[in-house]
Amino acid sequence: MTEESIKRITFKIQRYDPERDNAPHFQKFMVPVSRGMTVLDGLIYVQENLDSTLAFRRSCRMAICGACAILVNKFPHLSCHTQIAEFHSDRLTIEPLANLPVIKDLITSLEPMFDRHRSIKPYLIRNDREEMVNPTAEYFQLPDELNEFMQFTDCVGCGICVAACPTSASDKLFLGPQAMAQCYRYTRDSRDGGEQERLPIASMNGVWRCHLAGACSEACPKGVDPALAIQLLKRRLVSRALGFGKAKRLAPVVPPSTQTKEKIAYPEFTVKKAK
Amino acid sequence: MRNAYSWLLQLISGVLIAVLLGIHMVLQHLDAILGFFGVDTVDLTGWSSMIDRASQGTFVALYIALLAVGLYHGVYGLRNIILETTPSARVKNIITWSFIILGIGVFAWGTYVPVSLLGS
Repeated sequence: MTEESIKRITFKIQRYDPERDNAPHFQKFMVPVSRGMTVLDGLIYVQENLDSTLAFRRSCRMAICGACAILVNKFPHLSCHTQIAEFHSDRLTIEPLANLPVIKDLITSLEPMFDRHRSIKPYLIRNDREEMVNPTAEYFQLPDELNEFMQFTDCVGCGICVAACPTSASDKLFLGPQAMAQCYRYTRDSRDGGEQERLPIASMNGVWRCHLAGACSEACPKGVDPALAIQLLKRRLVSRALGFGKAKRLAPVVPPSTQTKEKIAYPEFTVKKAK
Repeated sequence: MRNAYSWLLQLISGVLIAVLLGIHMVLQHLDAILGFFGVDTVDLTGWSSMIDRASQGTFVALYIALLAVGLYHGVYGLRNIILETTPSARVKNIITWSFIILGIGVFAWGTYVPVSLLGS
């Protein structure tokens, strides 16, 4: 910390060690704050200087891995992506993500979320298994086809949408916004032929349970819109039920190009080299 | 696909409730609006007016349709709320069938009066 870090704020952190505690409780720490400091920096300060037993998860520190998701003042954030100054407060209440089981302190188990993620078969399903196992070329896809689902590929699996979702809070069988968004992502992919397998899964404890609160989309730190994916899945399911939905044409394999263009000639040097 | 039909019916019933309830309100409770348009309204909520309407097929059809869409919309919504707090797939099935039976029972009960009045 430099001398300019004169401001000190209170980190009120939820602590819970299942081996020692009967119930979660809060502990306060005074953290010196400097300009540009993130909530994760504050937690690291606490761990390195005040209480080394504080448990929290982090990895990339650049909002890519999704490991450091926590609740800050009751709203889910990636702690590495959230500056303390954003809150304009002398006190931050920090808790583990809601709607997920707590392992210790701020660490939640993402296992329930990933179980649901796996249940929607998050991979390309095709009938040309040989081509998938030993690919000879790429599958054909137009830029417009890619744009249909591109934003949903940005999901980092941080669990923030699940923590924000009011339905996930009350309905333990609900697949959750993360799994639903990925269900749409793979179903919409022109290279995928697994719609018949995924839509019944999405219909069972998925899209029809959503209240369209939109909290998942509001909270997502990567700008993914799971609420939109759920509505688009609903539209697809209704279209299929009414017989309006066109069957998707599976993207073919693009044969390797046999022709190559001539290389563009280098322009003449404008600066003459000294002899 | 059953869930998709149920949800679509929920949307359609919502729209129909707005239309049918609108007709009901204008005809029976907002007679000032009818008066504004020059329609002669005499004691719309009186006993004799009610019996008179109950003998007309159009009104009976309107009542039954309003009962059907209102009942479906309400029962489906209530079922969804209760399902959300039910952590078991088996219990969810029991709740769904309970609501189907309840809905059919209330519909039959609700239609008995206008249909019997129509025949009288």
